[in-house]
Order: sequence, then C-alpha cells, then structure tokens
Amino acid sequence: MMLEEIMKTDVVSVNASTSLGEAFKLMEKHKIRHLPVIQEDGFIEGIVSDRDLRDASPSIFNPSESVFAEKKVSEIMKTDVITALPTDFVEDAATVMVENHFSCLPIEHDDHLVGIITDSDLLKTLVRLTGADLPTSRLEVEVPNVAGMLTEVANLISEKGVNIQSVLVYPGKNPDKKILVFRVQTMDTRKLVQSIEDHDYLVKWPQLNSGMTL
Amino acid sequence: MTGKAVFVYSQEQLSYRFNENHPFNQKRLETTNDLLFTLGALKEEDIVKPRLATEDELLLVHTRDYVEAVKKASSSQSQASFASTYGLGTEDTPSFPSMHEAASWLVGGTLTAVDCIFNKGYDHALNLGGGLHHGFKGKASGFCIYNDSSIAIEYMRKKYDARVLYIDTDAHHGDGVQWAFYDDPNVCTLSLHETGRYLFPGTGSVSERGSGEGYGYSFNVPLEAFTEDESWLQCYEKAITEVAEYFRPDVIITQNGADSHFYDPLTHLCSTMKIFHEIPRLAHKIAHQYCEGRWIAVGGGGYDIWRVVPRAWSLVWLEMTNQTESVIHSPIPKSWIDRWQTSSPEKLPETWFDDYSIYPDIPRKKEIEKKNERTVQKALEPIFKQHKNVPL
Repeated sequence: MMLEEIMKTDVVSVNASTSLGEAFKLMEKHKIRHLPVIQEDGFIEGIVSDRDLRDASPSIFNPSESVFAEKKVSEIMKTDVITALPTDFVEDAATVMVENHFSCLPIEHDDHLVGIITDSDLLKTLVRLTGADLPTSRLEVEVPNVAGMLTEVANLISEKGVNIQSVLVYPGKNPDKKILVFRVQTMDTRKLVQSIEDHDYLVKWPQLNSGMTL
Repeated sequence: MTGKAVFVYSQEQLSYRFNENHPFNQKRLETTNDLLFTLGALKEEDIVKPRLATEDELLLVHTRDYVEAVKKASSSQSQASFASTYGLGTEDTPSFPSMHEAASWLVGGTLTAVDCIFNKGYDHALNLGGGLHHGFKGKASGFCIYNDSSIAIEYMRKKYDARVLYIDTDAHHGDGVQWAFYDDPNVCTLSLHETGRYLFPGTGSVSERGSGEGYGYSFNVPLEAFTEDESWLQCYEKAITEVAEYFRPDVIITQNGADSHFYDPLTHLCSTMKIFHEIPRLAHKIAHQYCEGRWIAVGGGGYDIWRVVPRAWSLVWLEMTNQTESVIHSPIPKSWIDRWQTSSPEKLPETWFDDYSIYPDIPRKKEIEKKNERTVQKALEPIFKQHKNVPL
C-alpha cells in the first residue's frame, strides 16, 4: 500500500509570514499538531509543531511578553524538513517516523506539498489491513512453520464458500509454529473450525468446546 | 395511555428461512408463542397480524438497486456478482425463493408495531420476527436482508417526527442500524455486545460515536468475551440509564437478540437467563419514565433455539404485560416441554433461571469485570463531559 492511497490531501498549512498567534488558532481549530510552512505555489519551506510554538511562548510565570503572538512563523520553523513521496510504501514511512520520533510526515511532489500523513492515519490503516472495519469474524489457526500451510488452510475456508477479508501471518511463541489470523466474512464460523480441526490444525479461536484460555 | 400491549405475529414470518441447516431458524417464533399460549400469558386477541412492507417503505433506508437485486435473487435470477456487491447468495445470506417477500413481511411486522403505538393507542408492541440489525443500506449481511429496525426508525422520523432511542442487546454489534443513522442527531443508538476483536461483525468499538451532526449520538459498549451476568448487567444498567437521561427520547425501540447466553453456539459471553429478566424490565421502566410508555421491541439473534430463545423472548412479552411475577416462580409448563422435547437435541430447561453450574469458573473474571467497567465509563464519556458544563 502506498502513501498516496491513505494520505490526507487537504492539508492545513501556513506561510512564513503567518503570525504565531494565528498558527496557534489553526492548530486548535483543526485539532492538529503540525503545520507545514509553504510558499504560495506549495513549495515547502519548513514545518512548525505545537511543541515549537510552546517552546517559543512566554512562561506562565512571566506572562508579560505579549509580543509573542505577533512574531512570524519564519522565526521558529524548522527548515530541514524530512518528507515522504506519494509512492513511498506505508511501512517505509512508518519506519522513518519511528526512527526520527515524528508523529507526522509532509508528502511532496517536486518539492511541493501534496499531502500529509500522521501516526493516527497509520493506525487507521493498520485497522483496515487487519480487516476489522468490515463485517467479519476472526479465525486464528496455529500451523507448523513449513511451506504451504497458508494455502492449505485457505483452501479449507474456500471449500466452505466463505470469503476471506484479510490475513495476517505471524510467528508463534514456539519457532516451529506460525499463527494465521483470518477475518472471514461469516457470522457462523463453526463449519470452518470443524473442517480445520478435522485436518489436524489447532484452531486457537474460536474454540468450539468453550474456550476459556483467552 | 392505555397500558395496552400488542403482539405482532403471523405465519408469514416463518417463511424467512434460508435452508435446513442455517443457524437463523424461525422455529424460535413457534416455540416461544407456544410457551406463552401454554402459560395463558398470550391470547388470540393480543395478536395483530403484520402487514407486508411496501417497496417505498423499504426504500426509506435501502437503495433501489439493492432491492432490485433481492427481488431478482428471490426469483432465481441471481448473478455471480450479487455475492460481492450485495452480499446475496453467500454462506450467511444464501438466496431462497420469495426471499424478498419473506424479508418484507418481517419489516412490515415492525412497521405494524410502530402504527399500533402511534395510531392505535397501544403503549407497547412486540415483533419478535424483527431485529435484523445487520442489514445495510445496500447489502445483506449476517443473516439479515432488509433492516426492519432501521426502516421503522426512519418511518417514525418521517411520519411522526419522533426522537428515537434504539437499544441493542444482541451479542453482535448492531452495525446496520448504527451506520444508517450515524450522522442523525435525532436517532440515538446504543449497542451492548461482545467485543468485535474476535466476534462478527468486528465493529462497535467505543470510539464509534457518530459523525457530523450525529456525533455523540452513537454509543457502543463492547464487552469482553466470557463476561458474566453481574458485569453484563452493571454495564447495561449504567449505559441505558445514562443514555436515556441524556437523550430523552420520544420512543424507544429495543432489539432483543438472545445470543448473549452461555449456551449460544455462535458467541462467547457467559450470561445466564438472569440478564433476559432484567433487559426488558429496565427498558419498560425507561419507556414509562421518558416516552409515555412508547416501547417497540423486536427479536434478533439467538441460536440456541431450544434452551434459550423461548424463555428469553417470552420474558419480553411477560414484562410488557406485567405478567412476569405471576409466571417465573413456577416451573416451565410440563406440557410445553413434552411437546418439544423430542425435537430438541438438548434437554429443555424446567425453570425460568439457570443454575450457575452450567459453565465452568472463569479464570480471568476479575480482569474481565474491570475492563468492562472501564469500557462503559469510556463509552459514556461524552455524557459525563457534557454534564460537567451544565450549571447546577
């Protein structure tokens, strides 16, 4: 999945001469923590965060400095902006954000702002990737860590005519095992569970004989 | 206000039948009605026959192309693309002859219930054939084709300009109704269900609160798997009391899915019959407290059709007609048991409550209770926040 599929394109931004007071209001109004600073044609000049603004604002113990709100964004913005490209993969963008402790990445095309992505966009994407946003049930199967297991279990599901919404594969605690997590488009998983168990795979969820282990 | 209640039912409701082995089995209606008749708690004169919903009424909520597809699928003109586009012909909602009519009868039943209250002077109306809460505007899902509750709510909005509180205690999230009114501030939906982390349909998290003008009018209380009576009831009482006081509805519609019971084969909650005594009791109280009695109740899920559903659904009618106390201290009538025992794969229950020995001790009990407590607190946050701003 590429960033262009999930990025926000109506970006709230400011320009270098916007006042800090104005920037503060924009962040509050839109409930956001970052404002890209751009020129009229969208060329990215910098970025300013709610933390930058707070660092620049007068201390509550010394509220006399009223000129703060009049200062320009250009005085405090960061100019070495790390950006991503619309065709970057979501997982790569996530790595960049984690490594740099960023909670957002502006997305550029030819140095011009075309979108933005935040940590909450990434979380929403994760929810979508796990298939939990569409009517589905969860089916968790432990299989031997050898080739072909996903195909075999998927075939058993297909035999019952049930559509698979999403699949996650992750290593089990025991390195000889893998866990397959399916979101399947059915309300009644009993036939699937029965068939998978009949083929000697361990169904971790749901357990037909009252699973009290979870 | 007459204090009168009406029971909506006719044979046509039994025609909503996918196939022999499908878990959604309307035999539940027969066993329930028979139990009530045997008790002498339901009489022929209490029953009103449902009408067939018109196509225009279906279109109050559903899209025209979906209704057309259902009609085609009913007369074996199904197309391969119907499964992915409209959810028709899938494992959960397979097509069957006259599907469109059968589903329209269930919708008509809930509309009849509405008319009985708003036109005919009844206080309460029960349509156990309704409660198909997974039906989407343009798609069948989770055993549901047309969403009778959504249509009835829109009908009440249009025809009677009523503010509607929808309360859904099915073990599965009431997704279809929630999404239909997600941006409508005049319809408030409250759903208590087993968490979607594992169970169908997966949605119904506390963070689903509505959108646009409807923000703050969708409430979800997703409960942990293996939740027991006490914790379930605590969350229910808290949620329904707070939401009713906050929203102050003109009418309530309760969806009484009976699949939160330990015996239910499709879900993983550990409640007993106890919650099915309390669910209608509190709904009844709320109806009189805020709505001059106006209360429509519908059925819903419930897949242990022998040990759970007949008792649970009878209790809704008994509560509506103030007959609970005179019935529940006696055993389940022997003649009812004798009549149905041969069809039931399980031994039929003899009392109105269950013994707690039906399920093993839950090792994570404490943690489950604590999580549920936090969930309901979080679900009701917008109400608590709003109250803080109200001058005392």
